[in-house]
Amino acid sequence: MGSSSPGAGLSQDGDSEKTGASLFRRKIGSQGIKPHLKQVRTGVQLICLGLFLWLFRITDYTGSDTIPWAVNIWFRLDPLVAATVTLATRTIISLLWPSLVVIGLTLVLGRVFCGWVCPLGTLIDLSGRFVKPVKNIRVQLRYIKYVILIVLLVSAVFTVQLVGFFDPISLLVRGMTFSIDPLLHFLVTGGFDWVYLNMPAAVSSLTEPVYDVFRSVLLPYKQGFFFLSVFSFFLLVIIFALELAGRRFWCTNLCPLGGMLALVSKISPFRRLPVRACKDCEMCRTHCPMDAVNDNRHIMTEECNLCMDCLAFCPRGITTFGFTGSKQRTVPDIGRRQVLAAALLGVSLPVLTRTDALSKMPDHGLIRPPGALEETDFLAACVRCGECMKVCINNALQPLFLERGLAPMFTPVLVPRLGYCEFNCTLCTQVCPTRALAPLDPAQKHSFVLGTAYFDKNRCIPFADKKSCIVCEEHCPVHDKAIKFDIMPVQDDQDRVMELKQPYVREDLCIGCGICEHVCPVIGEAAVKVVGKSSIPAALDWY
Amino acid sequence: MNRRKFLQQVTLWSAGILMVPPVFDIGVKAFGAASSRPDIFVAKGKDIAAMVRQMVDAMGGMARFVNKGDTVVVKPNIGWDRNVDQGANTHPEVVTALATLALEAGAAKVQVFDRTCNEERRCYQNSGIKPALDAMNDRRVVCEYIDDRKFVPVKIKNGRSLKEWPFYRDALAADCYINVPVAKHHGSSGLTLGLKNAMGVIGGPRGRLHMDLGPRIADLNLVIQPDFTLVDATRILLRNGPSGGSLSDVKIMDTLIAGTDPVAVDAYATTLFNLSPEDVRSTVEGFARGLGQMDLSRCNIQVFDT
Repeated sequence: MGSSSPGAGLSQDGDSEKTGASLFRRKIGSQGIKPHLKQVRTGVQLICLGLFLWLFRITDYTGSDTIPWAVNIWFRLDPLVAATVTLATRTIISLLWPSLVVIGLTLVLGRVFCGWVCPLGTLIDLSGRFVKPVKNIRVQLRYIKYVILIVLLVSAVFTVQLVGFFDPISLLVRGMTFSIDPLLHFLVTGGFDWVYLNMPAAVSSLTEPVYDVFRSVLLPYKQGFFFLSVFSFFLLVIIFALELAGRRFWCTNLCPLGGMLALVSKISPFRRLPVRACKDCEMCRTHCPMDAVNDNRHIMTEECNLCMDCLAFCPRGITTFGFTGSKQRTVPDIGRRQVLAAALLGVSLPVLTRTDALSKMPDHGLIRPPGALEETDFLAACVRCGECMKVCINNALQPLFLERGLAPMFTPVLVPRLGYCEFNCTLCTQVCPTRALAPLDPAQKHSFVLGTAYFDKNRCIPFADKKSCIVCEEHCPVHDKAIKFDIMPVQDDQDRVMELKQPYVREDLCIGCGICEHVCPVIGEAAVKVVGKSSIPAALDWY
Repeated sequence: MNRRKFLQQVTLWSAGILMVPPVFDIGVKAFGAASSRPDIFVAKGKDIAAMVRQMVDAMGGMARFVNKGDTVVVKPNIGWDRNVDQGANTHPEVVTALATLALEAGAAKVQVFDRTCNEERRCYQNSGIKPALDAMNDRRVVCEYIDDRKFVPVKIKNGRSLKEWPFYRDALAADCYINVPVAKHHGSSGLTLGLKNAMGVIGGPRGRLHMDLGPRIADLNLVIQPDFTLVDATRILLRNGPSGGSLSDVKIMDTLIAGTDPVAVDAYATTLFNLSPEDVRSTVEGFARGLGQMDLSRCNIQVFDT
């Protein structure tokens, strides 16, 4: 790569806009780098995707009590998350400052985040190799992303947090956590296990080292099991299947983050040049992946994600990207009525979620993760990103479905029968990007109350079966045992008196970690169960 | 039936050739017979490695148990996400000392594992055992997590309360099995010592053993017969076991107890808690099954001060 070629391009910058002929010369002059910019963009995309996947993989216990990397950085970069959380919680969360970087970047350069950085965008680009748009379909629904954006923001003003349904990073991380990762693990492990269990030792001694490599590099440490695995999978499938209706369909028409960055990029001075497509050429209109050329041949700044494809496909080679003072601007593709309708919907949804009978029903004992804010604040701050469920060392945190209505969907709850909250572990509070789970140090964690255990004596073995057990007491991590027992004389079938240890809960000591419920040997529903404190206002918790 | 035959059955079952579970029908080891006078070695001091070496030497040296090229299993208690001082797990120095001795005796591989109660990675790490073994930096020493594929159902022919249960294949197949429990209080069994440590090499829903814990622990030990047991009583948990958690429950004892008779070793360890061997059900049941001697007056007790 000769350094002279870009230099030559630069030397002509001053008058290059004037005539077609000079533009043509400029193209020749800069031939060295221009066609390569697309490759540079692809390279940056792949690096960002790799970073995303690596951070996703290390969102796990790695032998240290603290996670050394900012694994939640993608959510902290996300201005849509920052905006909705700030509105819904009415507080400034300092952790989300990196989103300002993205806003700043977008103000200057336009939607580069969408074209160069966003991991979902990159995956959609990659999927384009397999999912090609059906010919003759070009669905233009660009306004929908603004409608979704307005609904999310207005709802957030009324403290109802819905960003998780549409935020691209949330959708992706949740989909990967709940479905892709477990799927991958199951398939790979299943294959190696089959060989291990069914083939002679000579064969498995060859496959096991390969398996070890898979385990150390590719796979999560444990097989994850999640509610909503199928549902989350299909949400991702839909996003990719929409490519049949047009390239980057999600990004151009639906993504509210894209919509937000589109509005921010409106004043960006860095633009595709020329700002209008040529009269006699249809290439830009037909080939732009973002469908960013409107009916008047204007390049819509807010739609362009600076992918630089047009540098390569322009038959005349006249396209370029640069700073311009051009006043020719397009307006976002949304009408006044649509804005109004979206705002109305944004007002209605919070009201509707509150008039849902479920909001009046007493809580069924949901156990929120450690560090969780009081329920209302928690629901406002939680962006349903799935990070806490991804990192949970015992696979104990699970997403809620419609049990509590639409709004709390995908929020994390502890399901002790599947896994308990590990006494010394604070990883979920460390990865939460919005402080919906407040950070806890080990001492705070040890006394943080998630809920309270209670016994069902109709099922509990020493009461119901007159046999010894107290596995729950053994496992109770609290000092000095939130589960205690009475030693009681009990008559057995042959009228012999024997002593049995009958457990009970010390409510003042119990932190509701759920290990008792997890290890309870009673088949089916446990005889000791934890009820979350999530819905009991502290003032009413008198007993 | 002999051991070789049993292991053949285990291998065949693992390979999917044998459809019925392997049957364990081997009598208890001769040196554990209740009629004999078993040796109990007790070491007191601060230098754990030296104490371990002294006791193993007293038992006849590691060469008595380990032949060149053997696979040795050192089975500590790594059950809990607790640190060394909290006394819920075996002291890492005891484990590394035994691994070192096994390697010196020519072991080709030393395996260390336990089926934990808390999350296994946290237990291995926080107990200090995995970091200590990793620091040995020897490829022959393998500190690995339990692999669920390796559980083999075993029929316990002479079991009284337990007739069949899954056991960890590596524990069954080891040439030499060294049991290294930590002595501590236990809510349901009173104390957890050497015999109870067999709970860490079995699969299945372990909580379901608790309905008749003492006899079932003894039945498990019909299958898991360690070459010798070394009880870590450097510090003992007096209350709130087996998980503990508070240093106020821990008492420093600076003691290790070793012997080839698992019942006798447990019986002696009981006395550290000011209890008598009869107070621990698994000891009584182990004695009743002929696993060893629980009457300390019929044991040779040798105490070393290191």
